[in-house]
Amino acid sequence: MSEPVAVAAASSPQVPLIRVAGVTKRFGGVQALRGVNLEVLPGEVHALLGENGAGKSTLIKILSGVHAYDEGSIEIAGKRVAFDSPAKSRDAGIAVVYQDLSLVESLSVGANLMLGREPRTRLGFVKKRELMTMVSDFLKAHGIPLDARTPVGSLPFAYRQMTEICKALMGDVRILILDEPTSALTGGEEQILFDAIRTVTDRGVGVIYVTHRLNEVFRISQRVTVFRDGMNVGLFPTAETDMKQLVAAIIGPGHAALHARERTAVGSASDLLAAECEMASVTVAPILTLSKVGNDRLHDVDLTVRKGEIHGLAGLIGSGRTEILQTIFGLRPVETGAIVIDDQSLARITPAKAIKLGVALVPEDRHLQGLVLDHSIERNLTLPRLPHFSRWGWLRSQAAVQQAQSAMKKLAVKAPDSSTYVKFLSGGNQQKVVFAKWDRPRPKLLLLDEPTVGVDVGAREEIYGVVQDAARDGTGVLIVSSDLDELLRLCDRVSIVVDGCIVNTIDRANLGNAEELHHLIQLSRSSNESPKGTSFGAHAT
Amino acid sequence: MNDSVSTQATDGQVAQQRRSRKWQLVQLLLQGDRPYALYFAFAILLVVFSLASPWFLSIDNFLNIGRQTALVSIIAIGMTFVIIARQIDLSVGSTLALSGMSAALAMAHIGDNWIIGAIAGIGTGALVGAINGFIITRLSIPSFLVTLGSLSAARGLALLVTTTKPVIITNDSFVAIFGEGDILGVPVPIIWTVLAVIAGILLLHYSVFGRQIYAAGGNPTAALYSGINIRRVTTLAFVLTGMLAGLAALVLSARSHAARPDVVQGLELDVIASVTLGGCSLFGGRGFVLGTLLGSLIIGTLNNGLVLLGVSSSLQLVIKGAIIVAAVAFTKK
Repeated sequence: MSEPVAVAAASSPQVPLIRVAGVTKRFGGVQALRGVNLEVLPGEVHALLGENGAGKSTLIKILSGVHAYDEGSIEIAGKRVAFDSPAKSRDAGIAVVYQDLSLVESLSVGANLMLGREPRTRLGFVKKRELMTMVSDFLKAHGIPLDARTPVGSLPFAYRQMTEICKALMGDVRILILDEPTSALTGGEEQILFDAIRTVTDRGVGVIYVTHRLNEVFRISQRVTVFRDGMNVGLFPTAETDMKQLVAAIIGPGHAALHARERTAVGSASDLLAAECEMASVTVAPILTLSKVGNDRLHDVDLTVRKGEIHGLAGLIGSGRTEILQTIFGLRPVETGAIVIDDQSLARITPAKAIKLGVALVPEDRHLQGLVLDHSIERNLTLPRLPHFSRWGWLRSQAAVQQAQSAMKKLAVKAPDSSTYVKFLSGGNQQKVVFAKWDRPRPKLLLLDEPTVGVDVGAREEIYGVVQDAARDGTGVLIVSSDLDELLRLCDRVSIVVDGCIVNTIDRANLGNAEELHHLIQLSRSSNESPKGTSFGAHAT
Repeated sequence: MNDSVSTQATDGQVAQQRRSRKWQLVQLLLQGDRPYALYFAFAILLVVFSLASPWFLSIDNFLNIGRQTALVSIIAIGMTFVIIARQIDLSVGSTLALSGMSAALAMAHIGDNWIIGAIAGIGTGALVGAINGFIITRLSIPSFLVTLGSLSAARGLALLVTTTKPVIITNDSFVAIFGEGDILGVPVPIIWTVLAVIAGILLLHYSVFGRQIYAAGGNPTAALYSGINIRRVTTLAFVLTGMLAGLAALVLSARSHAARPDVVQGLELDVIASVTLGGCSLFGGRGFVLGTLLGSLIIGTLNNGLVLLGVSSSLQLVIKGAIIVAAVAFTKK
């Protein structure tokens, strides 16, 4: 275990923008923070890491004035402060971008950015043209590819997030807090965000950057603070640390997942396994075949997933990856072409029929699409398989509770029992509950959409284990992910999706590292923009 | 909270788990998922009225309250399903009036048999519910607007069929079964209420349909992604409410020996007040049948107690309204 490094040790000539010293916070019986320290210098990007429940969110809420702290002190530019409301925090120059977006969907980007501080005429009317010009200038100055006039509701998720960040950047901001800003971004968008962050740090703004993606830490931050169980467990200058040290600090000693990670990192064991699977799968029948499937978002999608295969869908946000999964699950109509699931061709698929055929979907947004937060774990778990837990329309509650408990145990869902409300669980545990919905009977085809977004390192390893176990038992897995390392680690084959069409399918053996895959996606994209399907779409089974 | 492996499951963790369980109990209390505060309020109400009025605490008076609240209680059971499914039904009062007319006319013109009356009454209610549900789910019009329309249309139809005249009911067994009979001294309206409550509990808490209702209201998108046919489930909730409005119509017309087209105007407000007072969230996904019954009984007891205390009817309305809002605010969060 690494000793907590004293904050003062980072002896810098600069006065820190913000200094958090020995802050504690207790919620009822739960000690969320046990005396944490954090210091951000002007122009610094300071990464804040930790598993879900380590205390990062609590500290952010304290800094943004949502919660008060119990003990310790917070200083801004050397002056001691205490916020009793978000407005006070905002006045002190702290801006927070939350994971959950806070935009008005019916308003334009410009109106959202200036919400509550619109330029007005003497009679109180909004000067619309001036507002749009101000916002356009701001967007241009920061190199952000947004149009001030677009309604937020019509933007893809990534661009909404960008709007949210712009909103936080407008006004006199000294400290910008980003809470998992890239969880839904891919490739180019991520780079745009990083460029935007650099623009503000050049102006002397300090950034607190919360993330679960460790590779970003190395790309953007100068220092890293790691929390575990409400305490500091490490402060590292980014240049002097590596992935392994950070992972060890985050998950603590004796964690099974660490060994799992090391094992795969050590040798080519995973590659060997992948090759083995591939050999076996060549002869195995497909569980899913799409031929020339098209609808409003897709065209001519050809795809096969074999039994026991893990098949990845790579591509940019909005390229149609999610829509492919939704179409297979019956959430979008099949207008042209045909889908064959387990040798059965269906004229019209509905989610209920898909489930009956053994298809399971773990959707992208677990709060919106995967869970009823206000209900218990057991209620959520049994929802998609209600016919399985009933006889003549009456619920077999014993069977439901038993299955819930065994699935919770199997997936190591941390909760007192199956009657616990899902909203009280951490992000990782919530995601495990979404997985557990499909635990038994074992699905024949598992569709995963960004399965580890907002999930901490430990839970992520456990989810990978679940996916690999399922594939080993013969389940075909189709996985959409923006995390290319994740795809490379899990998949036997990867298909690249561009503009609603699969342009290329590649065996894992022919793929090197994430950089190479990223390059391929970019390449497919640019070549697809010229006349369609010239050189690509080649060996898509 | 603490995501570590089981080998580390120390005493500290066990204690933490225990703490979090206690924490959840507190949360439950505050959220009104099982509004103990409601039971408490009901108990206080009983004690206060017992002390204030010498006539309040008697079996006869309680049977009286039960009889008076039967209409609201029966319909509120159905409304519980509708509100948990994140919908609202404003048409229940009009549906009741139309169903009563339908039952009385069927017995007068088709056959003088209580079964014919019952089928006509409950069937009419089911039909109105089905039409409501169909328009709401197929045309995607908010239930508030659709049922506001049927509130007017159903009332109009009820008035139209006899050009506003009441229809006398002469069938004695109909009157006995639904209105004036008793079993072991318990008046039949109370028996019907109890049966409706039992059916509601079974359906909401022990059937697949109940689970689907909760999910459809708790998070419609998640329900859709779990393969639940939300349109069908929502429509069935409206049909159920319509049928219970039909049953209530039988009880009311049997007690007054006639069906009248202009009865129970504004009943929907009492019904919705009972359901929300009973812990149902108007945002859907939350509520339970016993809570609804309790909500209806609290309003009924309040009415009864205030009358016994000789409070003027105008002041009664004010007190009732204030108590309902205060109680919902208190049990909400």
